[in-house]
Amino acid sequence: MNNKENQEVLLKVEHLKQYFKMGKGELKAVDDVSFDIKRGEVFGLVGESGCGKTTTGRSIIKLYDITGGNVWFKGDRIAAGTRDYEDKLKALKESGASSAEIAAVKKEMAAAKYDHKHADPKEVTQIQMIFQDPIASLNPRMTVREIIAEGLIIQGIRDKKFIDEKVYEVLEMVGLVREHAGRYPHEFSGGQRQRIGIARAIIMKPELIIADEPISALDVSIQAQVINLLNDLRSSMNLTIMFIAHDLSVVKYFSDRIGVMYFGKMVEMADSDELFAHPLHPYTKSLLSAIPLPDPHYEKKRKRIIYKPDEEHDYSKEGPEFREVKPGHFVYCNTEEFKKYQEEVNR
Amino acid sequence: MERILDVRNLRISFRTNNGTVKAVRDINLHLDKGETLAIVGESGSGKSVTAKAMLGILAPNSIIEGGEIIYDGRDLLKTTEEEFHDYRGNRISMIFQDPMSSLNPIMRIGKQLTEAMILNGKANQRTAKKELTSKTKLLKDAMLKAAADGKNITAEKANSMMAEFEQFSKKAITLSKEYNRAYNNAVECSDELALYLADIKKDEPKNIVSELKQTASKAMKVFSPYVVDESNSAYKAKAEAYKKIASSYRKVEQADELIAAMKDLKAELEQNIPKVAPDFFSMGYYLLKKGDVKLDTKNIEALNQTVEKFLEENFLGEFTKIVSVAMEYSSEKSLEAKKIAAEELKKALPTYEKEKLDKAECEHVASALTKVVDKSIDKLALRKDNLAYVFGSSLNSAIKTYFKGIPHNAKEEKRFARENEKYEKNVAKGKDVGKPVPALIVDLELAHTNMIRTVSGLYESYQKDIAASSKVDYDALAREMILHLYTQETKVVHKVTKGMAKHHAIELMEEVGIPEARKRYKQFPFEFSGGMRQRVVIAIALAANPDILICDEPTTALDVTIQSQILELINKLKEERQLSIIFITHDLGVVANMADRIAVMYAGKIVEYGNVDEIFYEPAHPYTWALLSSMPDLDTKEKLEAIPGTPPNMIHPPKGDAFAARNKYAMEIDFEEQPPMFEITPTHYAATWLLHPNAPKVEPPKIVTDRIERMKKLEVGGNE
Repeated sequence: MNNKENQEVLLKVEHLKQYFKMGKGELKAVDDVSFDIKRGEVFGLVGESGCGKTTTGRSIIKLYDITGGNVWFKGDRIAAGTRDYEDKLKALKESGASSAEIAAVKKEMAAAKYDHKHADPKEVTQIQMIFQDPIASLNPRMTVREIIAEGLIIQGIRDKKFIDEKVYEVLEMVGLVREHAGRYPHEFSGGQRQRIGIARAIIMKPELIIADEPISALDVSIQAQVINLLNDLRSSMNLTIMFIAHDLSVVKYFSDRIGVMYFGKMVEMADSDELFAHPLHPYTKSLLSAIPLPDPHYEKKRKRIIYKPDEEHDYSKEGPEFREVKPGHFVYCNTEEFKKYQEEVNR
Repeated sequence: MERILDVRNLRISFRTNNGTVKAVRDINLHLDKGETLAIVGESGSGKSVTAKAMLGILAPNSIIEGGEIIYDGRDLLKTTEEEFHDYRGNRISMIFQDPMSSLNPIMRIGKQLTEAMILNGKANQRTAKKELTSKTKLLKDAMLKAAADGKNITAEKANSMMAEFEQFSKKAITLSKEYNRAYNNAVECSDELALYLADIKKDEPKNIVSELKQTASKAMKVFSPYVVDESNSAYKAKAEAYKKIASSYRKVEQADELIAAMKDLKAELEQNIPKVAPDFFSMGYYLLKKGDVKLDTKNIEALNQTVEKFLEENFLGEFTKIVSVAMEYSSEKSLEAKKIAAEELKKALPTYEKEKLDKAECEHVASALTKVVDKSIDKLALRKDNLAYVFGSSLNSAIKTYFKGIPHNAKEEKRFARENEKYEKNVAKGKDVGKPVPALIVDLELAHTNMIRTVSGLYESYQKDIAASSKVDYDALAREMILHLYTQETKVVHKVTKGMAKHHAIELMEEVGIPEARKRYKQFPFEFSGGMRQRVVIAIALAANPDILICDEPTTALDVTIQSQILELINKLKEERQLSIIFITHDLGVVANMADRIAVMYAGKIVEYGNVDEIFYEPAHPYTWALLSSMPDLDTKEKLEAIPGTPPNMIHPPKGDAFAARNKYAMEIDFEEQPPMFEITPTHYAATWLLHPNAPKVEPPKIVTDRIERMKKLEVGGNE
């Protein structure tokens, strides 16, 4: 599945920070996360609830104004935050740096602000999102046709015939039929509703789809249908997908590369086979040990590894950062751990 | 193994605006003591409805069309709401999917935990009293009758021994009441000390001083011969020292002194709290016989031995004999009645097996049979004969259902004809309207078989009883009976106080793995994380010590790591408490870890039923194959075998196999006729025509066989 030769970076996320104001303090939902997604691949993002995977997805698609860092799509900066520059300015002012240095930072900050505000809407629409809950994400008062065509209409297309043709085309692509266009969402089953959500995303001819837990609200027998559909669309439309989920077996099956998040940080990132064969970060290990499998004998023997951050890491001397342990395999660690992990990988 | 719950031929439907939805269509299940039964299926397959029926919490628009859920000699489907209070939560408890919606958001966790305990405490007292009086009376009667019948006892002896038993067990209870009061005071006091020890430096003295004083006065109230002896001067001195410091505690500087005194007192108190409870049952007799002598309470274990020996030699040995004679007598009498009843049942069978049933005759025979069967029940037996107890109501309801159906009910027939006429008119006009559905559709054949099964089932069970009658050990039963009576008596006087409930609640919270239970006790649900909330819900479900725990998708709302924690917890509790669990889920991965047996449900029917290894390693039904192949595991590479289509509309369930339309292995007969349950092994059943001897041989999908292969290999590897 993985297209090794094609190394074109489609989406680049640099030091993404997304903080939310909460009372007096701030909630660091996503704290300094960086990763690339290459054209044509499926990038899986896993982690427990509240670790910031959904926030990452929503920040990329500009549903939030990000606090810090940059998001590059096809080489253009589509979102940028100013927090890093603000911090830098503060530090410079305190240390009494020259006005030229300050001016340079201010200029960079202004450029970031400009890019964030004036990102090309045509480009941003090439990133589309599929949401978790197919009931909550479809407007109950709109027909399927209106829901699916809404994006086109916002883009300024007025030709009714063209829109209808387009709607029918995508409906058929996702396995529904033309007649469904006139109905309302409540007339559909959960799996069909999720198909409508997918149709709404692909009518914009996106290059990147952010699928935020697209199957966790569906029935078991329907989940496989949706996974297969996404897989088919991926090859037929040459889609790149960012797949957010907490079901690790599905992520493993579907993704080429996987990033593991824990409390707003990316703790490990690697090819999916590599990650499951050599998990390095203790959190990844504990996550993998928790996967239940449909095999009673294995289950009777399965031992869960418990992750206790305070005991596992000693970051008092040196803080951790995201390092490459092996080509393509990144772990969040400090120098001491880095050496340990390298030995573990090479063994 | 002891079977504690039996679901037979259960049928439930829901009245909706569009017609009647058949949610559960004739399912049979049973649950043994200490096992986990998993019910697997997708939403709308009727798994939750089955569970809710067990608790009597079905939605008001539900119709119970037939069947029985038998637990503790009673059909839960025919139990009134009042009577359900004794079962719901108390004996059968439930954990729901979403922990947030099953907790009250504006009530502290502690209150929610203790509320049920206190209410249940009162209910327990009531039931125990009822049970005690009825059993004592029955026992006495049996003794007297046995004596009159010339068995090996005399009426005087029986009377005097029963009287003595009552007398000294009352004495024992007064003793234990005193003990409990002192014991609970001591434990509470020690708990409070521990609590304030942690808080004292954080708090302003003036905020805490009144509570400290209260603890001090509690510390002075713990005296009892068995807990803290009144002559214990060391304890007294320490308690007084603490009281003095506590009442003069004004400044933070005094905190160290206070903490030292508290620690001292706590250590002394804990040393004096007995680890073993005294055997009051024997002690009561000892004191009764010897007059109120002073007992050596220093060494409770030795004391227990002495009094137990005394009781055994002087009373219990003989009493057991008498009770055993009485029980044997009662059982013999019932056996005779059973023989007669069995004959009657056999004779009555043709009445119900007839092609054309006569309502009056059926009812007449049923009432006669019920009388005979009621007589044959051994009321003294500790284990209730479920079949016999529900015989009358089951038979009558089956007859009622049979004659309620359209062919026998003129009123409904007229109404339905009217509706039908209207429908046809509308169709003629070209309007698209829903086809009318009769309000009472009765499967006559099923109602008929139900009747026959009720009669023949009891007949067979009686035959078995008669055959096994010579092997019963009445002495063991008698001991059990004496213990049972005593436990009921202790339950009658056992009052759950707030303090006790709190203590128990904190113990429970610790048992389910909530850290800092004391602090958490005072918090609100929103202060807990998802996993912790689910633990609280489990603690509440366990508060009344239920026999059966129903878990309705307990981990679906949680993520992987928390999910495995909760599953481990449920497994641990099951081991420790000998719980029987009904585990409802759609995730086969979860089931592999939890279940002993699995029932796979689809469209309101059980399609496959077997123990965990059989379902995972030798699945037989195409739906089970589909479930197994539709989810990837960590080694899956090939395209997933999705199940096409969606589950059928249960307003008009398909005529044949409900899964046929989505089943690529479906044969013609699958669309025509519903498959029966084929037996594969004595524990493994599946409802698919593929198992019919004439069916073509079909292999499960490759993805499933591959996985089974891999799993087996893995296991061989693991064993090396």
